[in-house]
Amino acid sequence: MKIGEHELKLIKRVDLPWWNAMIISIISVIVALILFSLVFVHSGVNPLTGFKEIFQFAFLNRNGLPLTINRSIFIFLCTCAFIIPYRAGLWNIGMAGQLYAGALGAFGVMYLFGAKGDPNLYIAPGIGIPLMMIGAMFAGGAIGGIAGFLRGRFNVNEIVTTMMLNSIGFWFISYMVKEGGPFMNPVGRSESFDLPLSVRAPLVFGTPFTIIVALLLAILLYWVFAKTRIGYKIKSYGLNPLAAKYSGINPQVIPVLVFVLGGMIAGLAAYHYFGAMPGVFKIARNYAEFGDLSFYGIICGLIAQGNPLAAIPVSLLFGGLTNGGRFAQGKLQMGFGVDYALLGVMMITMVVLQFFYRYKIVWIKPEKEISDVGIIR
Amino acid sequence: MWELFVRSLDASIVLAIAALGELIGQRSGVLNVGIEGVMLFGATFGFIVAQTTGDYTTGFIAAIAIGAIIGLMHGVFSITLGVDQVVSGMGIWILGFGLTTYIGNPYTGPLGMARIDRIGGLSPFFYLALALIFLTWFVLNKTSLGLKIRSVGENPEVAEVSGVSVNRIRYLCVIVSGMLMGLAGGVYGLSYNPVWNYNFLMGWGFIALALVFFSMWNPFIMFGGAVLFGALWQLALSPEFILPGVMSRYLWRMVPFVITIVVLVLMSTRWFRTHWGAAKPEALGVPYKKEG
Repeated sequence: MKIGEHELKLIKRVDLPWWNAMIISIISVIVALILFSLVFVHSGVNPLTGFKEIFQFAFLNRNGLPLTINRSIFIFLCTCAFIIPYRAGLWNIGMAGQLYAGALGAFGVMYLFGAKGDPNLYIAPGIGIPLMMIGAMFAGGAIGGIAGFLRGRFNVNEIVTTMMLNSIGFWFISYMVKEGGPFMNPVGRSESFDLPLSVRAPLVFGTPFTIIVALLLAILLYWVFAKTRIGYKIKSYGLNPLAAKYSGINPQVIPVLVFVLGGMIAGLAAYHYFGAMPGVFKIARNYAEFGDLSFYGIICGLIAQGNPLAAIPVSLLFGGLTNGGRFAQGKLQMGFGVDYALLGVMMITMVVLQFFYRYKIVWIKPEKEISDVGIIR
Repeated sequence: MWELFVRSLDASIVLAIAALGELIGQRSGVLNVGIEGVMLFGATFGFIVAQTTGDYTTGFIAAIAIGAIIGLMHGVFSITLGVDQVVSGMGIWILGFGLTTYIGNPYTGPLGMARIDRIGGLSPFFYLALALIFLTWFVLNKTSLGLKIRSVGENPEVAEVSGVSVNRIRYLCVIVSGMLMGLAGGVYGLSYNPVWNYNFLMGWGFIALALVFFSMWNPFIMFGGAVLFGALWQLALSPEFILPGVMSRYLWRMVPFVITIVVLVLMSTRWFRTHWGAAKPEALGVPYKKEG
């Protein structure tokens, strides 16, 4: 394309420096937000007012900020659950199923302690809380491991498997907490029994202690990917499974490993929301909503491009956007699903801008030609 | 019992049409894992248009049209821009999931129109699906266009050299494929389950994707699979027909998904592959860039 003297050209990238990748990600977020403002226009709301409401509630409001942080921890953990398989070139869209399993695992531990129907039961928190987390990670990892094993051993498409496992998990958790299921709350309707008071998670500056777990996890994962042999193996499997095989990496083990790890972290996300959130402490009736929310992990993972440290600010942004979106939707009387619409718009923008991972636009300024008068060419 | 059979066939039709769309796309080498999204678009737009105009035909046209648009979009991303096809498909799924939730929400609830008349006791879409499946088989296997499509899916470089425009064929296929997926969504939202609710497809698109892998890219095997799955689905919805009182109804709902996984595993074993021969299009999922 030519604009005046200059020429606009698409050139195939040879490499993608990290700051370029970051710029692409930031641009895609901005483009998505601009597109998203159409939703406000559609509802007859000035987009600037809309965004102001969203950001004010999400990041500046005394009630909104803790909600944002809690959501962000959840989204961050889901992002990690997506990132680890993504590094190996595999798609984990089964965070929802792993989440449901994790919730059941955590509450299963308490069920074994006999906590159902006895909120005053004393369990030493130093034992009960770690056990719940282990239960959640074990169950989530097991469900994730199924998809990984089938992929590694039989080459079954992991997208289909994880999605099927989402549905299986959804109906299984429904069975467990509804209509007289084993975990049903003896007094409530369609939700699990309450956690005993003694094992409700301690708060750190008003947020569940899982925030520390999440931050440590980010650093740990970054280190694993950047410095360790296993991180390198995962990466090389992701780039070319066949080449990885010939260089001595077991192609059956890597998928299992990444999916078990991803599932464990998704299980941890379940523990965070259902076991450690102030005011919840049970498998709340709207568990399916958190299954939907876990899909933000896909988008955040793509925006962060598989980098666990970059995932922190991205999760914070999306935690804020979904939380503030809910609030704005109520305050400005917009239709339900504003946060879902954002999810969709964000994702598709991200896809389009993937193009720029491989190509770049350059301006070519033509050099002034020396006018060679008198010489006939 | 007849009623159960008809209902299960209704379910099969939706899956069969959607999977047929995916099959055509895959035969040309373009994988679309976002069937669920296209179907959600088709179902939602079909539903809204039919309810607003009070006319089924317009609703179905809307469903097919939006399907074609989304198919074209997938084509632009994956053929022209060369974006990873899985990434693009996932994008389409989540776009469909997110946008239809917002757009369709004011229409939550039943369609409120007279049900579509049955022909010979069966849904008219049954005959349509059969015709489409036969037509697809015929075009793919007996015409020169079909040969072009298959060659583009197997080896685009060779096809290009022998004078076939790879991109044109692929665009044609993804658009037709999107139209069929949109139609399948329309059949779901207007005939099978005419009660709009957000994400009311509940993973059917992914089941259709599994069906294509199951079918070994043969439309007739795919239809057989769809019929079996439809029966399974309907039984899981009303287990009292066969095994009254065994297991909670929630647990029954898990069964079709478990069986899908089990079947896919069986299909993927080396034993099965060597016995039946897998016909997976060689260039499936690989972006093609014309040289020069």
